[in-house]
Amino acid sequence: MRPPAPAINKVENLRLRHPQQYHLSNGIPVYDINMGALPVVKIEIVFFAGRPFEKKHLAARTTASLLREGSEKYSSAEIANAFDFYGGSLSIPVNMDTSNVLVYSLTRHLDKLLPIVADILTRPSFPQKELDVYVARAKKRLQLDLSKNDVIAYRTITEKIFGEEHPYGYNSTPETYAALTREDLFAHFEENYTAGNCMVIVSGDTGELLRNKLEKYIGRIPRGPGSEAFLPSVKPSPQKLKIDRPDSVQTAIRIGRRLFNRKHPDFNGMYVLNTILGGYFGSRLMENIREQKGYTYNIYSTHDAFLFDGYFYVGTEAGKDFVEQTTREIYQEMKRLQTEPVGADELEMVRNYLLGNLLTNLDGPFNVAEVVKTFVQEGLSLDDFDNLIGTIKNIGEEEIRSLAAKYLGPAEMIEVVVG
Amino acid sequence: MPVINFSKTVLDNGLRVIVHEDKSTPLVAFNVLYDVGSKDESPERTGFAHLFEHLMFGGSANIPDFDTPVQNSGGENNAFTNSDVTNFYEVLPANNLEVAMWLESDRMNCLNFSQEVLDVQKKVVVEEFKETCLNEPYGDVWHHLSAMAYQVHPYRWPTIGLVPEHVERATLEDVKEFFFRHYRPNNAIVVVSGNVREAQVQPLLEKWFGDIPPGPAAERQLPPEPPQTEMRSKVIKDAPVPMDAIFLAFRMCGRGEPEYYATDLLSDVLSNGASSRFYQRLLKDRQLFSAIDCYISGTIEPGLFIVEGKPADGVSLEKAEDAIWEELALIRKELTEETELQKVKNKVESSLLFSEMNVLNKAINLAFFELLGDAAKINKEVDAYRQVRREDLHHVANYILRKENCCRLIYRTREELKN
Repeated sequence: MRPPAPAINKVENLRLRHPQQYHLSNGIPVYDINMGALPVVKIEIVFFAGRPFEKKHLAARTTASLLREGSEKYSSAEIANAFDFYGGSLSIPVNMDTSNVLVYSLTRHLDKLLPIVADILTRPSFPQKELDVYVARAKKRLQLDLSKNDVIAYRTITEKIFGEEHPYGYNSTPETYAALTREDLFAHFEENYTAGNCMVIVSGDTGELLRNKLEKYIGRIPRGPGSEAFLPSVKPSPQKLKIDRPDSVQTAIRIGRRLFNRKHPDFNGMYVLNTILGGYFGSRLMENIREQKGYTYNIYSTHDAFLFDGYFYVGTEAGKDFVEQTTREIYQEMKRLQTEPVGADELEMVRNYLLGNLLTNLDGPFNVAEVVKTFVQEGLSLDDFDNLIGTIKNIGEEEIRSLAAKYLGPAEMIEVVVG
Repeated sequence: MPVINFSKTVLDNGLRVIVHEDKSTPLVAFNVLYDVGSKDESPERTGFAHLFEHLMFGGSANIPDFDTPVQNSGGENNAFTNSDVTNFYEVLPANNLEVAMWLESDRMNCLNFSQEVLDVQKKVVVEEFKETCLNEPYGDVWHHLSAMAYQVHPYRWPTIGLVPEHVERATLEDVKEFFFRHYRPNNAIVVVSGNVREAQVQPLLEKWFGDIPPGPAAERQLPPEPPQTEMRSKVIKDAPVPMDAIFLAFRMCGRGEPEYYATDLLSDVLSNGASSRFYQRLLKDRQLFSAIDCYISGTIEPGLFIVEGKPADGVSLEKAEDAIWEELALIRKELTEETELQKVKNKVESSLLFSEMNVLNKAINLAFFELLGDAAKINKEVDAYRQVRREDLHHVANYILRKENCCRLIYRTREELKN
C-alpha cells in the first residue's frame, strides 16, 4: 500500500534581490549583486552595439568576436593564454542588440585579468590576419548551418517578418562576411564602445574591493554619446513558403509573426499565453503533437523580444510523413486558445510552473544577475519583475483568450516549411 | 576548494541514499540514477535503455501523469541515458521535495505498462533518431566510430540504437522484463541536494522508498574488448555533408582508472580553450582547420579519446590529417612544459568550483561517484588532477596516441555539396 500523495505547496519568497547601484567616474552605471559563498565573480559589460547600431551588415558581430583577438598591449594568443591559465573565461556573446563582454574569474585572479579587459575595450587592434581567420571560419560555419533545415527555416521566417534590410531580419551571406574590412570594425568600435553606451552587471563575490578595480580598469573607457539605432519600417506580409529539400528525412516547420518588445503592455500576458501553447514540457503543442501523436521529438513556441521589436513563432522538426497533420494541429491549438477558455486546472498549473521557474532563475548570484540585466538592459525598472509575477498570479481565462484572439489568428501568420 | 558534505545510508531494500545540504538555494534537486545503460542491452534490441527512459514518463501504477504534479510544484524534471547509466531528476522549490519522492518512488515501485504509451514513445524516439542522427550532418558519427572501436563490447552500438527498427520492435513484454531486472531499488542511487535538513529527509526517504521490493542481484558480464593491433580506417565517400571531416578515435582507460586524469588533461593540453595547441597552431597559425577539437568519452568501461577536425577551404584531408599526427608526435616526444600543465589543471579546478554553484550538478555528480564506488570521491577530484605529473602525461600520450591504437573515420563530401 503506497502512502497518500503529499500536499503541493505554493512557491514562496519569490523576490528579486535588488542590486546595489553606483556609477563609475566615466558615468557607467554598475549593478552589483553581492551574494554567494564561493570566491568567484561574474562581470558582464553590456554595450548597445548590436545590429540596430551597425553601419554595415555583420559589423556588430565581427567587431565583438574580434575584440579578444588582439589589443595594443596583448596578442590574441596572450589573451587566450592568460584567461586559460588563471582559470577564468572571457566570452563576448553576440546578441541582437548588444555586445556583452562576459568575464568569469576567481576573485583572487581579477588583477591578472582585468588589465587585459581594459586594454581590449580601449585599444583593440583588429589585426588583418585575425579578421581573415575569422571570416574564413565564419563562412565555413555558415556553409555547415545552411545544410540544416531548421537553420534555413529560421533564417527565412525572420527575414519575412522584418524584411531583408532590417537589423532583425537580414541574413549573413559569404559576401557580407567578405566585404568587411578592419576600418568597418574600428568605425563600429569607436562609435559604440563608449561609456555613454554601456552598463555593467557584477555578481558573486563582489563588494567594495571589486568596485575599486572596476573604477581602475573599466572607468577608463572614454565617455561618448549613446548610439542611434537604424530601424526601417516593417511590413510583414502573411504567406506560406515551401522550400524543397528532397533528401531530408524530417521537415522543419516554423509558423510565426511579428510581435513586440518587453515594454508592450501585453508582454506579460503573452508570456503566460506562450507558455500554455508551447513554452514548457507540458505545453499543448507538446502534449498533443508529441505525447499524443508522436509526430515529432520536440515542438515549442517562443516569443523573442528585442530592444525595439519582437516576434513569435512555433517551431518543430517533424517526420516528413507527418507534415500536413503537424501543421494542421499547430493551427488547431492556436485556434483552441482563441475560442475556448484555458480551464482552471491547466491555468493553475502554468501559474505554479512559471513561479517555480522564476524561483530557479533567481537561484544563485549569476542567475540573479541575468534577470537584473534583462530588465535594466531593456529599459525596464526592477519593479517590472513584480508586475510579471502579478500577471502570472492573476491573469484570467478571458484575458488569455482575448490575447490569443488578438495575436494568434491564422491571417497574420507566416508559414515556412523546409524539407 | 570547498568540501561538499553529505550523508550516506543504505535502505533495507538496497537503495543507496545520499543527502547534501545547501542552504544557499531555495531549491532542492532530487536525482535518481539507475545502474543501467545501453551497454546492458541485447545486440538485437539496441536503443532499448533510452526508449525505456521515455516510458518512465508515461505514468506509474498510482500516478497516471508524471509531469503535471512536478509542474504544479513549480519544478522541472528531465532525464538522460548514456552507455552506462539512466539518470532522472527533478529540481523544485525545497518545500515540495516530497512531491518528487512520491513520484519517483511510485515509478520505481511499478510502472503502468501501457501499450498506448509504448506505441507513441516508439514513434517519438524514432523521430529523435532522425533529428539527431539522420537529418543532422555527421549525425551518424557515433554509429561509425563505436562500430569500429568496439567489436565485441556492447559499446559497439550508440545509446540511441543501431537502427530505428530495433526501437520499433520493442514489445510490452520486453518493457516489463527490463523494468523488473534493472529498475529495482538495489540497482539505484538516490541523491537529495539542496535546502533541506538531513534529519528530516531520512525518514521521508524511508517512508516513500523503504517498502519497494528489491530485485535480483545485479549481474553484469561484459565481454572485454580484445586489444587492437592495427589501425582501423573507414572512408565515407560521397557523404551527404557540407564539408570534409576527420575523426580519429583512440582507445583509452575507463573512468575509474588512475590514468583517467592524465588522459583528460592530455586532451585539454591539445584542445581545451583558445590557448590550446590545436587551436593556436593548427587553426590560428597554420589555418589548416575551420574547426578542431579533442575530447574523451569518459565512460566507465574503457573509452575513447577523440580528435575531430574540419579542414579549412583549400586544405586537403591528407594535409590536415598529417598536421594532426605531427602534433600528436610532438606531445609523445617532448615533455609538456610545466606552465602548460599548470594551466590546464587551473582550468579544471576552476570549472569544478563553478559547477558547485548548481544543486543539480552536485546531485548528479554525487550519484555518479557513488556508482563508481564512493560518493566521497567528489571531494578528491581536484587532488587527483593536481597530482598528475608531466611524466604521466607523457606516458599516457605514448600509450594512447599510437597509430595501431587508432580508428580513423573520414567523411569525403559529395562534390556537388561543396559550396
